[in-house]
Amino acid sequence: MVMGATGSKLEKALGDQFPEGERYFGLENFGNTCYCNSVLQALYFCVPFREQLLEYYSNNKNVGEAEENLLTCLADLFNQINSSKKKTGVIAPKRFVQRVKKQNELFRSYMHQDAHEFLNFLLNELVDILEKEANAKDSPGTSSQSEKIANGSSHLHVNGVQKEPQITWIHKSFQGLLTNETRCLRCETVTARDETFFDLSVDIEQNSSITSCLKNFSSTETLNAEDKFFCDKCCSLQEAQKRMKIKKPPNVLVIHLKRFKYIEQLGRYKKLSYRVVFPLELKLSNTLENADAEYSLFAVVVHVGSGPNHGHYISLVKSHNHWLLFDDENVDIFDESAVQTFFGSAQEYSSNTDHGYILFYENLGGRS
Amino acid sequence: MHRVASAGNTSNSTRPRKEKRLTYVLKDTDDTKHCAGINCLSVLKSSSSSCDYLFTGSRDGTLKRWAIADDQASCFATYESHVDWVNDVVLAGNTLVSCSSDTTVKVWNSLSDGVCTRTLRQHSDYVTCLAAAEKNSNVVSSGGLGGEVFIWDIEAAVLPVAKSTDVMDDEGSNKLINSGNYGLPMTSLRSVTSSNMSVNNAQSHGYNPTAAKGHKESVYALAMNDSGTLLVSGGTEKVIRVWDPRTGSKNMKLRGHTDNIRALLLDSTGRFCLSGSSDSMIRLWDLGQQRCVHSYSVHTDSVWALASTPSFSHVYSGGRDLSLYLTDLSTRESILLCTNEQPVLQLALQDDGIWVATTDSSVHRWPAEGSHPQKVFQRGGSFLAGNLSFSRARADTAGSVKLWEITRGVVIEDYGKVSIPTWFTMDTRLGSLSIHLDTPQCFSAEMYAADLNISGAPEDLKINLAQETLRGLLAHWISKRRQRSGSQTFNCDGIPGRDLPSRSISHSRVDADESTENHHLVLPAFEFSTVSPPSIITEDSQGCSWRKKITELDGSQDEKDIPWWCLDCVLNGRITPKESTKCSFYLHPCEGSNVQVLTQGKLSAPRILRVHKVVNYVIEKMVLDKPLEAGNPDGQFGLVPGPGQSQLASLGDSSLRALKSWQKRKPSIEILCNNQVLSPDMSLATVRAYIWKKSEDLVLNYRVVQNR
Repeated sequence: MVMGATGSKLEKALGDQFPEGERYFGLENFGNTCYCNSVLQALYFCVPFREQLLEYYSNNKNVGEAEENLLTCLADLFNQINSSKKKTGVIAPKRFVQRVKKQNELFRSYMHQDAHEFLNFLLNELVDILEKEANAKDSPGTSSQSEKIANGSSHLHVNGVQKEPQITWIHKSFQGLLTNETRCLRCETVTARDETFFDLSVDIEQNSSITSCLKNFSSTETLNAEDKFFCDKCCSLQEAQKRMKIKKPPNVLVIHLKRFKYIEQLGRYKKLSYRVVFPLELKLSNTLENADAEYSLFAVVVHVGSGPNHGHYISLVKSHNHWLLFDDENVDIFDESAVQTFFGSAQEYSSNTDHGYILFYENLGGRS
Repeated sequence: MHRVASAGNTSNSTRPRKEKRLTYVLKDTDDTKHCAGINCLSVLKSSSSSCDYLFTGSRDGTLKRWAIADDQASCFATYESHVDWVNDVVLAGNTLVSCSSDTTVKVWNSLSDGVCTRTLRQHSDYVTCLAAAEKNSNVVSSGGLGGEVFIWDIEAAVLPVAKSTDVMDDEGSNKLINSGNYGLPMTSLRSVTSSNMSVNNAQSHGYNPTAAKGHKESVYALAMNDSGTLLVSGGTEKVIRVWDPRTGSKNMKLRGHTDNIRALLLDSTGRFCLSGSSDSMIRLWDLGQQRCVHSYSVHTDSVWALASTPSFSHVYSGGRDLSLYLTDLSTRESILLCTNEQPVLQLALQDDGIWVATTDSSVHRWPAEGSHPQKVFQRGGSFLAGNLSFSRARADTAGSVKLWEITRGVVIEDYGKVSIPTWFTMDTRLGSLSIHLDTPQCFSAEMYAADLNISGAPEDLKINLAQETLRGLLAHWISKRRQRSGSQTFNCDGIPGRDLPSRSISHSRVDADESTENHHLVLPAFEFSTVSPPSIITEDSQGCSWRKKITELDGSQDEKDIPWWCLDCVLNGRITPKESTKCSFYLHPCEGSNVQVLTQGKLSAPRILRVHKVVNYVIEKMVLDKPLEAGNPDGQFGLVPGPGQSQLASLGDSSLRALKSWQKRKPSIEILCNNQVLSPDMSLATVRAYIWKKSEDLVLNYRVVQNR
């Protein structure tokens, strides 16, 4: 393992300020696995997620040779970093990457992969495993570990008979609730339908900000012409206005910037290098609840490169008030003011191709 | 798990249909009542001694004229031609103009019995509102979804077409927007029109309305001044646009409302404008100063209707909060006149009373001043929307069909498990049940005559539901048509102008034996009420539509109005055969049973064949196969195993005797599917849908049960 040089360099740079008990480890690249490394680093520094995963590890390590799955592999990896004697270094997430490739053939090739797709796959996979385990425990009769939905299944009244979903600690960290409001323009009755989300995928515009992207996300869309809305009250097709609102903001808000856009004329995807400002502190104002949810940025997955099919992923992480840049094996400290170099460029062809792609914000209101 | 793609309305979007669709609208009241909410009102003041009239336009698609006496209103005429909601109505002199969600504007002689004099087909989407000029009775403007606003010279628009080929009232105007384009071939005009609906059968007759172009979004309200020199429009753009209706040019835009503008009024001079909006505000605008001079926060919800006193000193307003207010525009004082049971859709002032239209099917008249109790002038007909969901109630999760009386929450009838193919679709937008028939799907459902209690019919005579329904619907038309053609018995192929493929042998049951008279016998189960007769609506894929009460068909309409496939079915007994009326199945002995194998091939029978028929078949085969093995191998009985495929028909008489003697020995046959004994009353379709539950061919098993 190659660690000496970088490790000591980072430790020297931080000096006495090296946080107690914290570990900064680079992750080895097994050939285009930077999509995976960058997401893992962001998740590692998502403190509630890490804590829960380590707790899961300690709860399960004595269960014996339980069947290996993505969750146990990830827990092992996090534990390996966390319990390392060294403060810095490089770790090879070999078993985890092998597991990912085994589980999903999409990630099997050595092609450049999409970090957002990977994050999605990972979180959903972890939820599936946790739910299965909880159901297995539940079957004798008691519901433990994962509690049933508490605040009333008011938003899940689809024909009454619906299996109550398990709320895992992944849900508690990442899950938010959107409400989709449709107002018939004739009788002006509003029908609302709720849906859960782990992250928000937002369309981006040149020279914009996350706040304006979120505003567009919640903007009103009119259902008209050939696409009218069937209003149950009017018993007929009528024009309607539809909008999305955030009903319950998540504890960890993950925002995915849609930088890869299919361009019809080109017949392929193109990377949008638009400048989209993401603030260190974000106020979520398009929520249903009156109180604005306040968030603080703690990690950014950055896409480096000019095209969608090649390039590199790195991640920026804020840990104990220091900003660190994780680039596979390498870990460097950098100044907070440099975060803005990852906003994107106002000109189409810029030499800077490092663009913020997935943003991780944590709710300052604290964990509930 | 990011944002889910927007839930579109693909299920509701109208897919292009090849053939015209036939719809019939059921009614349970006579013509003196509306059966859905009243969208619009208009009062015709009599100049002479005769009484005043009130016109109402309803979501049931009809308009009505009411004679107003002191304490009652009686329905004098029904104007039936729109095929969707009537959204607005205005009087231009003695001419009645109405607009509808069917995208047309219709012109009527207001004092007639309901004759539509012209249909104007300029709009490509719902027409939501109309405005007329009090002192210039020729000018009417219409506004609609998609921001279309047209200004019509009604007199010119109604002028007869030079070489009219139409027998009946209303062939549309063309869809040209630029009069300069008149004369070009229609095909090239499609690109010129802004609409996304195609131009249909539009015959140009030289008149084109003026278009007020520039709306970016849908228009929900219009108003015009007395002389017809000023037009205001409002809608989802939240701005009031002011136009010169003579040229269609823009004058100005007024901003202030924060939501859809649903109601507009102009004073007679055109200086002041009142607007009501979904932002719950009423605003008074000075068009001279181009600004809002007052805003009135009277309502707690959307304002949908406004009416002003002749002097424009007071305004009546109503809307979603059910309340009717009278507001003094200068002192800004408001009084609550009444609270309705339903949201207020439109208001009309008549002397000392105000007419209030709501989403209920009745119209109320309230004293114009003071809050004293009201007089209810006419209570409307059935408000059906509530108990019209049995289309949905039918899709019972348990798989059985029940008829619910949903107002009492009681099951009226439980039909058990039944599988009938979807042969019609329906909706309730007109406040009544509208049943849609499309070819060829509608011909996929059959029933046995016995189940319809048709006396004298052979037990297993199959009745095609759609065919008999069409016969019932068109019975009046057929008899009128026969009267027209005199004593001469008309030929089946005599439909003029239609190139029907003629076949020498018809496959219909009726043609098979009887004379032409029998073509038109309507089975009792398919007789429609003549007291409240249903209306027929036909629509083609271009949205061209036509509506008439079945008893008002005079026999002159043929393939122009009634879809050819309906005529072919009713006159010639021809229906497009649907493969799905058949069900293929295998019949095997039960495992472990020592009953001999009857047939190994695939059998085919009508979907509606009952299990007891299969029992009979098995008995017949068991009996006949033994004694007749040598004697009668060609078998007259129903089921003849062919090379892999057989046909199951009725039992032959010859076999009955043998059968009876065999039955005396008392064994009986049970038919099973998926190890479940089937009730003899079940149909093959039901067995397949609820017991077999697989897409492969049905497999039935039989076994002998010895009676004790």
